Amino acid sequence: MKKYICTICGYVYDESSGAKWDELPNDYKCPICGAPKSAFKQVEESPAKTISSPLDTENHNGIDNFTTLTAGEISAICSSLAKGCDKQRLLPERDAFNKIAEYFKAKAKPENSKAFQDIKKMVDYDLEINFASATEKAKSNSDRGALRSLVWSEKASTMCRVLLDRFNKEGEGLLKNTKIYVCDICGFIYIGDTPPEICPVCKVPKSKILEVERG
Amino acid sequence: MPAFRNVSMCGKDCMCLYVCPTGATDTEDSIIDVNKCISGCSACAQACPSGAISIVPESYPPQQPKSPEVIATQRKLAYSKAQQWQAAEAIAATTDNPITKQFATAIAASNLRMAEDILRESGYMLPQSNEARKLLESLLEYEEPGFPKGAVDLLLKKL
Repeated sequence: MKKYICTICGYVYDESSGAKWDELPNDYKCPICGAPKSAFKQVEESPAKTISSPLDTENHNGIDNFTTLTAGEISAICSSLAKGCDKQRLLPERDAFNKIAEYFKAKAKPENSKAFQDIKKMVDYDLEINFASATEKAKSNSDRGALRSLVWSEKASTMCRVLLDRFNKEGEGLLKNTKIYVCDICGFIYIGDTPPEICPVCKVPKSKILEVERG
Repeated sequence: MPAFRNVSMCGKDCMCLYVCPTGATDTEDSIIDVNKCISGCSACAQACPSGAISIVPESYPPQQPKSPEVIATQRKLAYSKAQQWQAAEAIAATTDNPITKQFATAIAASNLRMAEDILRESGYMLPQSNEARKLLESLLEYEEPGFPKGAVDLLLKKL
């Protein structure tokens, strides 16, 4: 008897309590978070395969200024700090950070047109390599906060990868008769008519799980 | 520092109106008037039976130190997430198909949330942190038309 764990929310499917995993229908969904069958993995993990990075990360030494950070990174730092100011009720400061974030967001346009497959390659590399090395460092330095961010992002990334695969196969059918939501805190994506009561990844209430509307 | 009301938790119990000596809590938009609020008072926060009012702190301790190797691995991931965010934004901006646009927008939003969170855990938690200040100071030398330098000046002055 084998066990399969949902990589999004941690729900474990145990074959001993029901059908064999392979006999479950292809449209089986996690009863907790709605993740598809492909987001599950067998509890005994197989060793990761090696793939090469789709990005040049040599410049990333942790020394930050506008020459070493990309426009996208500066924008994300500033939009995040704007939220920090908002929580502290520092409203002019929030608006100033948002202004800088907007400026660099406009600057951050990729040179070449991108396809979903390009994103897929990057998220594959994150899930095969980057998360493992970051998690190892966070653990060896007992950095609980970094570890927390990695646990959440790894789950949200797994959902991204699953949905990129499904969109590739199913196309518009994936969203045609349903809605799509993104957790405003951790980035978890949920497809369904109504969002879960709490985010299955970061546990924030559903008021922070926002619908992405069409058109 | 002023009191702050979380509107989604407010049960309209009105105890804050009874105890506020200045009327700062009695506003039509539910936002406590910071200009009337007395620093250090906190009567409304203590009286609120719904726990909807908190006092915004006056100052913050330095951030917990981050080791350089954690910063390096966090940044690597944040860089990748920012790239995915941008790529998805570009798809959303150029497609004519409404469902492709909707899907790309969701992928973009997801990756931006992840990038922000990973960056917060690499030294950018607090707007008042040294890391944030260093980045802002470096931006003083950034010379491009349309760059909102005034915003950088304001932040360096006020934070």
